[in-house]
Amino acid sequence: MLAVMDLQVHYGGIAAVKGVSFAVEKGETVALIGANGAGKTSTLKALARLLAGYVTTGSIRLAGEEISTLAPHQLIGKGLALVPEGRGVFARLSVAENLTMGAYSRHDKSEIAADLAHIYDLLPRLKERQRQLAGTLSGGEQQMLALGRALMGRPSLLLLDEPSMGLAPLMVQKVFETIRAVAATGVTILLVEQNAKLALETAGRGYVMESGRITLADSAAGLLADPRVRQAYLGE
Amino acid sequence: MDVFLQQVVNGLTLGSLYAVVALGYTMVYGIIQLINFAHGEVVMFGAMISLSVISAAAGSNLPPLAIILAGVLVAIPACMALGYFLERIAYRPLRRAPRLAPLITAIGMSIVLQQVAMMLWSRNILAFPQILPMVVYELAGASISALQIAIIGICFAMMAGLALLIYRTRLGAAMRATAENPEIARLMGVDVDRVIAATFVIGAGLAAVAGLMVGLYYGLAHYMMGATLGMKAFSAAVLGGIGNIPGAMVGGLLLGLVEALGAGYIGDLTDLCQYGTLSAMLETRCADGGNVVLFGSNYQDVFAFVVLILVLVFRPSGLLGERVADRA
Ligand SMILES: Nc1ncnc2c1ncn2[C@@H]1O[C@H](COP(=O)(O)OP(=O)(O)OP(=O)(O)O)[C@@H](O)[C@H]1O
Ligand SMILES: [Mg+2]
Repeated sequence: MLAVMDLQVHYGGIAAVKGVSFAVEKGETVALIGANGAGKTSTLKALARLLAGYVTTGSIRLAGEEISTLAPHQLIGKGLALVPEGRGVFARLSVAENLTMGAYSRHDKSEIAADLAHIYDLLPRLKERQRQLAGTLSGGEQQMLALGRALMGRPSLLLLDEPSMGLAPLMVQKVFETIRAVAATGVTILLVEQNAKLALETAGRGYVMESGRITLADSAAGLLADPRVRQAYLGE
Repeated sequence: MDVFLQQVVNGLTLGSLYAVVALGYTMVYGIIQLINFAHGEVVMFGAMISLSVISAAAGSNLPPLAIILAGVLVAIPACMALGYFLERIAYRPLRRAPRLAPLITAIGMSIVLQQVAMMLWSRNILAFPQILPMVVYELAGASISALQIAIIGICFAMMAGLALLIYRTRLGAAMRATAENPEIARLMGVDVDRVIAATFVIGAGLAAVAGLMVGLYYGLAHYMMGATLGMKAFSAAVLGGIGNIPGAMVGGLLLGLVEALGAGYIGDLTDLCQYGTLSAMLETRCADGGNVVLFGSNYQDVFAFVVLILVLVFRPSGLLGERVADRA
């Protein structure tokens, strides 16, 4: 599904991602964990082609097609959606408008309406608040909205950047339940998280990133059992 | 004659024109935080182009309304092309540059457009062909011309149309999303460059119609007319809260009213004969019903800038704006 080869990101003189290679197979949920500043967000942004103003090199193949030369707005049409760090809902658009923006790249009107109904079933809180401005939602509700909005684009590959950030434990559980439900429908997921335990419990495989490089790659169970991971990321 | 009502009518006419031009400033600011100083010149081109078409067709025996329609139908696409050209050539290459660069470019483009217009249409004040019959209605002590009614009506229709476009269509949603966060809008599949171009083109289309109406209303056009008009419309946008669509509408109307009422009363208010007893000299000069007016209605243009300064001092985010001062 996704194959990344020797990806590098430079912000001016700063190398944030120093040549990472990894792959995500169709239907998998893969976790990418690492400390603050490891380069996780930079990696996802590079995949979504949002770093056009900076130097990025390497190859990114989505379903066999090289996407590292496309414009960012073309990616959703190729099936790639990113739920950005900090959610990025349109605060001054209503909940319903945010969800409709998620389907901006689509033109199948009746299918869009059906998907919207489906999202409202999956996330009933959003349905209650569909006329409300997104900026007035709680953090957890905004995360749900960002997720729902991404799903409205019918992605085959979903990139999630720290969906648990800033949420209370109960809300984190809810968000992750939803992520698992989405994964169960066959959507491929690349999950970036600080909360390594939760991420590895959700994913089948994982990568560990440290100062711009991938230093470990294993099954989720393998990483959870790895003493280096336990010490550095699980606080043991 | 009822001065108050008369000035309200005049103020609404002016104000609805300001509002339509202010929308062009505010839409562009909302989406790329650029004050497009050349927008006033787009209005001027709208006036000049329609003047040329109308003058050329004035000799024919077409009905006057058809001639005017022809003028606006040429001016709209021409100004839209100009707006597109401005964005494409002057501003897009500077999208990532420090904010001062596009601002200076905007001022530069405004001067370039003035000079081009001077070369095309001369430096003279041109008479706008008065092909419309002057029809005036009496209304509770004030008079309102058919042209004023048409200007107010068309401006309100355009504002309503724009509001529908922005709040009810896919393009409008994309514009609002881009204004709020272009990066996220891109993730949704929005071609941000096209949305920005569309914003300039729509604003320029409105400016074209405004230019024609300003020309008809004052009966003249001049290559520098965009400068004052543009500054006033910009003040109106700031008054309403720059970047805010309803704000530009409210700000434009309010500014028109302030200007007209100010012009209507400033003579009376600054007539020193009210204080005739203060000096013997005044007393004699006012004796036979004369007056000594300090500021006349020719001070009309000052009001826009007084309003602009007051807003910037006391409420920089404008009447309806929320989040401006830090970005301006
Ligand atoms: N726009 C930028 N300009 C310059 N440096 C940047 C920029 N964005 C990120 N960096 C730097 O790149 C490095 C990687 O940042 P990145 O946001 O990718 O890390 P991260 O793994 O997502 O961290 P966190 O877990 O805190 O979100 C950091 O050192 C950061 O300071
Ligand atoms: Mg991050």
